[in-house]
Amino acid sequence: MSTLQPDRWQELSPYLDQALALAGDERKAWLAALEAANPTMAAEVRALLDEHLLLEKEGFLEKAPAAPQSAPGLAGQTVGPYTLISQIGQGGMGSVWLAERSDGRFERRVAVKFLNVALAGRGGEQRFKREGSILGRLAHEHIAELVDAGVSPAGQPYLVLEYVEGDHIDRYCDARMLDVEARLRLFLDVLVAVAHAHANLIVHRDIKPSNVLVSKDGRVKLLDFGIAKLLEGEGQDGSATVLTVEAGRAMTPEYATPEQVTGGPVTTATDVYALGVLLYVLLTGQHPAGSGAHSPADLVKAIVDTEPTRPSGIVSPTRANAEETTANAARRTTTPDKLSRLLRGDLDTIVAKALKKNPEERYASVTALADDLGRYLRHEPISARPDALGYRAAKFVRRNRGAVALVALVLIAVMAGVAGTLLQARTARRQRDLALRERDRATRVTEFMTRMFKVSDPSDARGNSVTAREILDKASNEIDTGLARDPETQAQMMSFMGNVYFSLGLYPRAESLLTHAVEIQRRVLGTKNRDTLVSMNDLGATLSAERRDAEAEKLQREALAIERVVLGPESPDTLSTMNRLANSVSAQNRWAEADPLYRETLMIRQRVLGPEAPDTLGSMDNLAWSLMAQHRFADAENLQRNALDIENRVQGTDDPNTLSSMNRLARILSLEGKYPEAEKEQRDALDIQRRVLGPDHPHTLRSMNNLLDILQREKHYQDAEEVASAMRDVQRRVLGPDHPDTARSTYNLACVAAVQGQSAKALSLLTEAVDHGLLPRLALGIEKDDDLKSLQGDRHFEALVARVKKRAAAAAAQKPQKG
Amino acid sequence: MESAISSLMVAAERGDAPASEALFAALYSELHRLAKRELARNGSGVSLSATTLLHEAYLDMAARDGPSFPDRARFMGYAARVMRGLVIDHARERHAQKRGGLFEITPLDTEVLENAVDHRELVQISDALDELVKVEPALAEVVDLKFFCGFSFVEIAAMREISERTVQRNWEKARIYLHRKIRPDLSL
Repeated sequence: MSTLQPDRWQELSPYLDQALALAGDERKAWLAALEAANPTMAAEVRALLDEHLLLEKEGFLEKAPAAPQSAPGLAGQTVGPYTLISQIGQGGMGSVWLAERSDGRFERRVAVKFLNVALAGRGGEQRFKREGSILGRLAHEHIAELVDAGVSPAGQPYLVLEYVEGDHIDRYCDARMLDVEARLRLFLDVLVAVAHAHANLIVHRDIKPSNVLVSKDGRVKLLDFGIAKLLEGEGQDGSATVLTVEAGRAMTPEYATPEQVTGGPVTTATDVYALGVLLYVLLTGQHPAGSGAHSPADLVKAIVDTEPTRPSGIVSPTRANAEETTANAARRTTTPDKLSRLLRGDLDTIVAKALKKNPEERYASVTALADDLGRYLRHEPISARPDALGYRAAKFVRRNRGAVALVALVLIAVMAGVAGTLLQARTARRQRDLALRERDRATRVTEFMTRMFKVSDPSDARGNSVTAREILDKASNEIDTGLARDPETQAQMMSFMGNVYFSLGLYPRAESLLTHAVEIQRRVLGTKNRDTLVSMNDLGATLSAERRDAEAEKLQREALAIERVVLGPESPDTLSTMNRLANSVSAQNRWAEADPLYRETLMIRQRVLGPEAPDTLGSMDNLAWSLMAQHRFADAENLQRNALDIENRVQGTDDPNTLSSMNRLARILSLEGKYPEAEKEQRDALDIQRRVLGPDHPHTLRSMNNLLDILQREKHYQDAEEVASAMRDVQRRVLGPDHPDTARSTYNLACVAAVQGQSAKALSLLTEAVDHGLLPRLALGIEKDDDLKSLQGDRHFEALVARVKKRAAAAAAQKPQKG
Repeated sequence: MESAISSLMVAAERGDAPASEALFAALYSELHRLAKRELARNGSGVSLSATTLLHEAYLDMAARDGPSFPDRARFMGYAARVMRGLVIDHARERHAQKRGGLFEITPLDTEVLENAVDHRELVQISDALDELVKVEPALAEVVDLKFFCGFSFVEIAAMREISERTVQRNWEKARIYLHRKIRPDLSL
């Protein structure tokens, strides 16, 4: 078959999901298994996978569509003494054009790079030209010359660069299948160029393969020296939003250094690190942050926290990446084993020293790195030492830096915002006095923050080892005294920082700041003030997160009473406080009391927001759950069905809220004893989740677990066994064979076997579960588990129970005594 | 037109077909207008990336519309579909060699431009996407966001709050689907 009918695609889709999640041998094994079970399906999936590989190779849809061959507006135009010929590239920063000199003084082709940056007035233009001319004096055979920097009559800055024809260094090496030694020699040319620039006090700041070109005859040229700095300086006035967007894009996170991510000072050590990353890529074909997908948060974490795998380790094949490692080794005309042996020792050590998280621990200069590589090539002892054991302890301190870096970014962004919104919101009232007071306040906040961030100044005694978390800690410690003369602002900052700690999961610190903020605000602004109420609610949320529901309840009751008066009983804020209060009450198992609160919230929301508003639906779901908890199953079912009908219609079947409702309804039905209906609902939910979220998604797994529970209640043991074993397959693959969830599925399989009288099978599965990660709490329960009743008295079962108890006792003895 | 976008979006989400057409038209003219404005600001011949344009559009419209405006992720879902239309119209126009008033929407990477997809193939892809929306909407959306708007897997994953692996898998699946649809005669 060549075209796909929708029905057929629906059937194929989950199989493709599974296949595409696997690589190499695993995929082969999976296909073989499918072949045995369902040869027709296997043949089709195989054909689609072949097509996939082909499309991958041909780069189908990889090139964005609207790329103009040449923009008609500029060809033939002149920029300074240059005539533009054709566009040769396009990037986040702007477009690049091939051009030639038009005044006939000498013939030379150049690249003109237009920068999508707004320069701030005349001063900005002059600075741009001045700094451009400094970079222009950087002459070296391995550095692409910056011929000129100027600003077009329309005000757009441009750079005129030596035109270099060549390939990115990593592609160049791969295409020519250069071995490790040849790569190192080429890399040494890069180092010579960077060292020359450093000697002239110019840091590159953005070294990455696309900035290191190699011409056909093997000559290295570095592009864009110092341009990152040139752009960054302009970004500070923040006048154009394009600039902020583009500047974010201009930074290449994969090649960013820890200090660039955390906002530390950029020095020559920054280039040493980026060169370390480049060396790592050239030697191994992989990025030190690991292969595969990265979210920005993961990447930040990897750059700041994670020690990269040694090059010799990363090139060794594992089951999952055998194909890739073999191909990488082949591009270095060797095998994975030989490559690993070659890298082990000196090259591992050299790369590790260049990639140190702390700039001071890296090679002191690019020349020092070059010297060590030279010694390696001459088979002399290198200067860098492998990590000593003691150093590992220092890692502990580093572990939290990733979170910290993210906070720093948030902190800086929001700080700017706090001052800004304070001004905006209030000036709108056109009360001049107030506006002036707010401006003073914004200034004071800025001063306070400036003082806090001053600790990261390298001239400070501790150098650049200060982390953003320390800044946050310092700020929160000093906030007591820091803004004491302006308590209102002080409280606002406390509240803000409390929320940052909350989002970091550091609840005790969040709680103490928020408590303090509420205290001050009550005193200075009174309890009826909106800001006070916001802080009270934030504190309530923190207490709930700490599972201190009674205290949360008390606070929420107080806030609710005030909000009802101040904001009115129908204000969205009042209603959300009421909803959260109901959650705190029900968390203490007082469902009957929570019920009227949920009910009132729902009624008002239905009236004010309408019956189809998301918050209204949320209230219906909460109330249904509360009815279920009170064993009022018929009412719960009725309400949940109503909610689900609306959700299906308004949000669609694939919406996460709709899916939660389906799961809830299945649960209610199963508690009612309506197993066939429950099973149908649960299977429907599961099908959608498999399609929308994929078979490996935690929510999909949770639904499988729910289904398993229903099937066991139904005594449909064969179906139950099927589901439990499918679950275990996914968990083994995704979570690993020793994960507690995997073990729990094995345990479930054992139960299913036991109730069917398959004692030997049950016992072996149970032993496997106990020895491979089953949580002690569950393991201790097997003795009394009704499902395992048939095993009681069995010699092996009793031995297993004894073993579990002994292990638990030993673990308890090891735990430090609590006072 | 101020708060029109948000209310159209709500109506479209309820399955109101005329509203969703109106939404499409409104977003189209908005993106078109912005593209022109940005070009005027930056001087002619400078091209814009689709992502920049979308981010700008969001900031612009959210600022005008106030807090009721949908969040960025939801907005991008719609705008990406609109951007597809814009890109295709642009490719058609360019093919027709019309003069004046052109703006360029360009890819992100500083790659040398080559192998740009033919506008006829773009139309085929778009038609196939319209079918795919009915079968597996999540797959069609990835194509709009990545291929037509230039968002990376990372950005899409963050926007949709799913793992990057899932985004990549959806992309790979969508690509197989589209390829089957537009080149059914392919021999393997």
